[in-house]
Amino acid sequence: MKDKVRNLVILHIMFMIFSLGAVASKTAANSEFLSLKFCFFYGLVLGGLFIYAIVWQQMLKRLPLVTAYANKAVTVVWGIIWGFVFFNEAVTVRKIIGAVIVITGVCIVVMADKDNTETADDAENTEGVSA
Amino acid sequence: MIKYILVYICSVFVASVSQIILKTSSGKKYDSFIKEYLNPRVIIAYSLFFGTTFISLYAYKGLPLSMGPILEATGYIWVAILSFIILHEKITKSKMLGLAVIITGIVIYSM
Repeated sequence: MKDKVRNLVILHIMFMIFSLGAVASKTAANSEFLSLKFCFFYGLVLGGLFIYAIVWQQMLKRLPLVTAYANKAVTVVWGIIWGFVFFNEAVTVRKIIGAVIVITGVCIVVMADKDNTETADDAENTEGVSA
Repeated sequence: MIKYILVYICSVFVASVSQIILKTSSGKKYDSFIKEYLNPRVIIAYSLFFGTTFISLYAYKGLPLSMGPILEATGYIWVAILSFIILHEKITKSKMLGLAVIITGIVIYSM
């Protein structure tokens, strides 16, 4: 139980870093190609992804795939928050409704996967067959 | 805007392909921690993933930041389709429903 909570916290820290990577990506996109600013922010993108890749691969082993992917939907919320904070993007009711529907859809998809995986687990221990 | 949306979706598709390759690799047993990362499939998968950073960076030239994670959700559609074709996984009715809900959300968000 303690391990599960710890893994979930690590997972969410990872999602936050990952979503900040998008901020770096857009900042690089807004600067001149191969300028110092571009290289710095693109470097941050790659650095963030490197950490993400290592942690994600380990998380997939420690958490059910369903949990990992369902929680990943939180990056939609981070996107709206960082968009507002760093780029003054408007947060509209329509955007929030769209985001909630997307997150709901993601949860339905991963729950559908969970049902499949559980059935598969009964027959044979095939952890995380479906993505 | 629509051009950049399509570019971003393209990047998500390539990332989904890399996920499927990682998936086929994660089912294997490796002798060491290093080999878990340094094997052809994982290297190809992460090279593709590296390529997507350029594609999505280009897309961000014309996309608001918040649009990225929303379009990222199309990954579930690509993964479902690719899993069906390559891993022969079924697309259940409830999954189909979830995918339809995701598409609806993306359309509402992008309108």
